[in-house]
Amino acid sequence: MIRTEELLLNVGPQHPSTHGVFRIIVKLDGEIITEATPVMGYLHRGTEKLAENLNYTQIIPYTDRMDYVSAMTNNYVLVHAVEKLMGIEVPERAEFMRLIVMEMQRVASHLVWWGTYLLDIGALSPFLYAFNDRERILSLFNELCGARLTYNYMRVGGVKWDAPEGWIDKVKDLVKYMYGKLDEYHSLVSGNEIFLSRIKGVGQYDAATAIAYGLSGANLRSTGVKWDLRKNEPYSLYDRFEFDVPVGRNGDCYDRYLVRMEELKQSLRILDQALEQFPGDGETMGKVPRVIRPPAGEVYARIESPRGEIGCYIVSKGKAEPFRLKFRRPSFVNLQILPKLLIGENMTNLVTILGGIDIVLGEVDC
Amino acid sequence: MQRFWNDPISWGHAGIYLLGAIAVLAVVILFVTYAIYFERKVIGWMQYRRGPNRVGPFGLLQSVVDVAKLLLKEDTVPAKADRKLFILAPVLAFVPSFLVLAIIPYGLKLQFADVNVGFLYYIALSGVTTIAIVIGGWASNNKYALLGGMRSAAQMISYEVPLVMSVVGLTMMTGSLNLRDIVAYQGEYFWQWNFIPQIIGFVVFVIAAVSELNRTPFDLPEAESELVAGYHVEYSGFRFAFFMLSEYIYVYAIACLATILFLGGWNPPLPQLDFIPGLIWFALKFACIVFFLFWIRATLPRLRVDQLMGLAWKVLLPLAILNIFLTAIGIEVFGKGG
Amino acid sequence: MKGTGIVKGLGVTLKTLGAKKVTLKYPDVPIEMPDRFRGIQYFEPDLCIVCNQCARICPTDCITLTGKANPDPEKKGKVIDTFDINFEICILCDLCTEVCPTEAIVMTNNFELASYSRDELFKDRDWLYENNENIRQDNNNIGAPQKGGAK
Repeated sequence: MIRTEELLLNVGPQHPSTHGVFRIIVKLDGEIITEATPVMGYLHRGTEKLAENLNYTQIIPYTDRMDYVSAMTNNYVLVHAVEKLMGIEVPERAEFMRLIVMEMQRVASHLVWWGTYLLDIGALSPFLYAFNDRERILSLFNELCGARLTYNYMRVGGVKWDAPEGWIDKVKDLVKYMYGKLDEYHSLVSGNEIFLSRIKGVGQYDAATAIAYGLSGANLRSTGVKWDLRKNEPYSLYDRFEFDVPVGRNGDCYDRYLVRMEELKQSLRILDQALEQFPGDGETMGKVPRVIRPPAGEVYARIESPRGEIGCYIVSKGKAEPFRLKFRRPSFVNLQILPKLLIGENMTNLVTILGGIDIVLGEVDC
Repeated sequence: MQRFWNDPISWGHAGIYLLGAIAVLAVVILFVTYAIYFERKVIGWMQYRRGPNRVGPFGLLQSVVDVAKLLLKEDTVPAKADRKLFILAPVLAFVPSFLVLAIIPYGLKLQFADVNVGFLYYIALSGVTTIAIVIGGWASNNKYALLGGMRSAAQMISYEVPLVMSVVGLTMMTGSLNLRDIVAYQGEYFWQWNFIPQIIGFVVFVIAAVSELNRTPFDLPEAESELVAGYHVEYSGFRFAFFMLSEYIYVYAIACLATILFLGGWNPPLPQLDFIPGLIWFALKFACIVFFLFWIRATLPRLRVDQLMGLAWKVLLPLAILNIFLTAIGIEVFGKGG
Repeated sequence: MKGTGIVKGLGVTLKTLGAKKVTLKYPDVPIEMPDRFRGIQYFEPDLCIVCNQCARICPTDCITLTGKANPDPEKKGKVIDTFDINFEICILCDLCTEVCPTEAIVMTNNFELASYSRDELFKDRDWLYENNENIRQDNNNIGAPQKGGAK
């Protein structure tokens, strides 16, 4: 009789597929995972505590650094919460600018996901294809607000910069270009038999489990729940545009893949309409007092980030700094289902499932 | 070279053999250097990049400085590693990879050793490298390396079976395992080459060969995204270079074998093109196969362990056996020439 | 049929083989940044009125400054004495230039800050004054009191 032992394997915090400094301690029986314990917090910077000593304008650069592949939506959730608390009217042109950059950001963010996911599964090229196209979006952001990753673009009551000359046309070109690129992505990857066999039926859960775990975004929609805050609780100008909410059926990695790829297309559709209706002129900054002092009270604002529902809860005591600020980070909440999904899976599926959840460690640890 | 085979052993003959061996080693190392360079270039081009272009003209010296860097690196052995086995493993990986080169014919007269069981010799020796990888993975005393080594053992043993079976049909047609005879058997026109009548065998051979090489999409032993680097995760410097070297020598060997077994070796595709030397035809076909390996590496994702085993035992092996049956029927009906 | 997806994918990579390459020759050829780019600040001591706005708005507290009485006895107010930015913690968020009422501190398009020692990242007033190339034209200081006002 051979004496066998369980292997305790420490995956991370420095590991190519944990997308940052994330650590999972797995118990392996052969290559089958019997237990998984995620360890997080390596990137914890105490954003929420720091925010208690900063005024609202100063917090905006900190939100850039939470979900750093989708900084625009983070900017928005904070300013949206403050505007909601203060009852500030945002000029239409500013709202349009916000919506356009948020949808561009969603495309950029999904591209990062797509590329890194394929890298996890072992294909090298999609990563560079995706980053090549994301680069175009980042260059446009760079022209707009002077940064490529940490934009610090939105302000309470509006946006910092109006679109520079010719920028809107460049975005229009980009949208046209991206439609073509999406088809190329699909022919490069989506039909690949090896890829499909890797992700079909992997990491499956049903709608009830997803809701019980509080999942949101594509992780929830892949189970067939049609829940998208852009449709269910329209914020910004999303009620003016036509778009579909793609849903999956089986709740496996394959459905999550399809849902995200379809979301890319829907984002382009929204961009198409938004650029068409973009107002010719107008203010980009609303009427805002010089020092932002929201009235005492509490507010919760939530929007649909590329990763799911991102929320901002503010407790104000009428001062220039928040008394307490809390971010509901979709990556953090979505990650909680990971230990459950991993049990009984092959070691190889660990990266497939983790990648399928789509986390950003800056946001998990905040 | 061949005529020395039967001559008595003397210092002169031994010297000629030694010179020949050094020449082959030089050719192979040159190939490995530029195969790595070319691989990086091709994959770069396929990803909107330029590939290495900083060292030397067009980056031609990139691999040279990479190797120099590996040679200059500190030679580390982990404290808890099994020291003897750890040192033995790279040697054990490299030696058989170089030995298999002895039997490869590049032309009718250009061959080191004309062995009757050429293909069998290749399979027997390349199996030794598997042991080296398992030893390396075990001796490193690292969990990732261990998993990589185990995967590698399972994979290479499984894929050797269809690899051998895929060639059986061809051997039945030729009636020989001698590589030179196999080339000589293939006709003058390219549609008479083995890859047409043996199309199933050819496909099985290519898939099994890619898997034997541990290359994408079968690079599970060193699956970067799961096992960091697999069996050679603890190796650095010159020992790591030996693992890489033996890997690329197998690329060289397999590409040569595929050329010889299925693509007519040094024969030109049409007899009218005879004025171009056979060595060039050989190199062209060889280059096509190497390019194909790079090409799939730039495109395909990786298989999972269970799917890998399933593919070997449930798909490739039955196909190879089917191919043997079909070949037998073909020989029975059309005679050996068909 | 099995395998068609793989063949399609191989087609895409083969097509890309001849496509135009997108990599830049960055260290050899410098990158031109758009005008709005937020790079290392330029500081103009003569314009500074020592209002402390920039130090106060800085989210990471990387700006330290001191003023002194105006050497010209006929003029009121202060002039800048020392002005330091610690680029170890500066996040180039643009807020200091946004609140500056006199555009004494503005962004430039320079971004190369790498150095061998952390001490070298502590930049003083003279260094920032000499950083006078590629200065941003449009500063859009919407946070500044007198120009933007209650806008």
